[in-house]
Amino acid sequence: MRFRQMPRLSGSAPLGLRTAGVDHRANQAKFRQDLLNGLYTGAGIALFFAFWWLTASQLPRSRLVTPLEAGQDLWANFVYSPRLGVFGLGSVGYGTLLLYTVSNVVTGMIAGGAVGILIGIASARLTLLRLVVNPIVLVLGTVPVLVAAPLFLLWFGVVPFTQVLLVAFYSAVMMVLFSQRAAENMNPIYERWALTFGAGLTDRVRHILIPGTVPEIIGGLRITLASAWGLEIFAEILGAPSGIGQAIKALTNISNVPGLLACVIIVAATAILTDILLVVLARRITGWV
Amino acid sequence: MDRDKPILAARDLGVSFLRADGSAVVALRDVCLEVFPGEFLCILGRSGHGKTTLLNIVAGLLRAQHGELRVMDRLVTGPGTDRGVIFQQDAVFPWMRVEENVAFGLRFRNITKRERLEIAREHLALVGLSSVARAWPRELSGGMRARVAIAAVFANDPPILLADEPFGALDYVTRRQLQAVLRDLWRRTGKTVLFVTHDVDEAMMLGTRVIVVKNGGIAEDRIIDLPMPRSDDDIATPEGLALKHLFLHHIGLE
Repeated sequence: MRFRQMPRLSGSAPLGLRTAGVDHRANQAKFRQDLLNGLYTGAGIALFFAFWWLTASQLPRSRLVTPLEAGQDLWANFVYSPRLGVFGLGSVGYGTLLLYTVSNVVTGMIAGGAVGILIGIASARLTLLRLVVNPIVLVLGTVPVLVAAPLFLLWFGVVPFTQVLLVAFYSAVMMVLFSQRAAENMNPIYERWALTFGAGLTDRVRHILIPGTVPEIIGGLRITLASAWGLEIFAEILGAPSGIGQAIKALTNISNVPGLLACVIIVAATAILTDILLVVLARRITGWV
Repeated sequence: MDRDKPILAARDLGVSFLRADGSAVVALRDVCLEVFPGEFLCILGRSGHGKTTLLNIVAGLLRAQHGELRVMDRLVTGPGTDRGVIFQQDAVFPWMRVEENVAFGLRFRNITKRERLEIAREHLALVGLSSVARAWPRELSGGMRARVAIAAVFANDPPILLADEPFGALDYVTRRQLQAVLRDLWRRTGKTVLFVTHDVDEAMMLGTRVIVVKNGGIAEDRIIDLPMPRSDDDIATPEGLALKHLFLHHIGLE
């Protein structure tokens, strides 16, 4: 019996081999999908601003201003805002205050995140450490920021360290839980295989546990970073030498709605930007996912 | 290496596990086994009868509750580079490129990175994967990842290779191709292989010796005196068929 050879499907590549044509088509499809995703995101942002505009047009200016007015306030006060000087913030603008906030968030996140990730990963593999750490983390994690922030202020005073410590504290607590879960969720087969190659504990941590948990840890870092902005601004409102939270406090005192909304926009934009930076960094690190 | 002296010797190995209800189940009972250098020993049996438990003890990933296991006259107390393992589950590290996976074990042997990659590429060529050395494992098929695992273990050059149903999850054609790859590498390197399988045909196609593990003990131990490499026709001889019926009887199919 003779079988007729089936013609190869157009564009199909032999098993395991990649061809330039297939790569090109795959890239085109990815580009189209990215473009479509970008359009949807843009549509979501446009919808938000349209809703804001419509609501603002129905309300008095003392309650809500349009996005354009908030933007104008942001532009006018970004480098220098005379009204902030009245509240003892010096000759600063929103930009300078934002720098203080950003530096506190980044410092707190790096310090707290590093401690949390190390403890989380180690406790996932060391039972004794996990038994000791978990109850502490669970108790600390339930302390409301409304309680922790005034306590930190009382203990450490109105200095930048207080806000950094608050961000670091909550970041560490969250990252312990995220990293521990990431390490526990990782398939044990990888460590078993590494063991059979003669990998010791430090080798397994370095070559297996850390890279293997990175995608889930980055997911945790994004959530922690998103909450860190709220924590930092709350701590600044409560008492800080500088920061966008202090500007919000001052502008609330004089019921300056455009200024308040400008602060909200600048913080939200910074939070989104840092999240995008984290995603880009994550993509570079985890090209294998 | 003295071919008449066992490379692996197990004496009275036994292990039992506790079930969730508190009752104990005996996984291995008083297993005695000697494996000689260069043998391709297939450990045949049904699921749950102790094949993988035996292999895990040999790998050092599980400790026997009684008995003694020696590999090259050394008491086994844990995993070691003298025993390479290929698991049934896909164990190839997704975060390392294919050649880095193959070179992984060499990191711990004071070999420069350049030499490691050279050895890795040589072994990738042996399993027919030179073209995907820089690919990520996610870009490969299941069969190709199994080849990566084989290359990684052979690159590390252990005298004993342990394989726990490594092709169990693959389709028939890929399985046959990989059996040929493993058999060729074994013939080329002369390593001792312990290969767990539940497939009688696979055991007869690959093994120079087959043991049947049943209820935690060794129920049968046979030398397969058929030509190597084997074809389906070699197994279909009267001697081959007699052995096949014997093994099928032990695993409860006849």
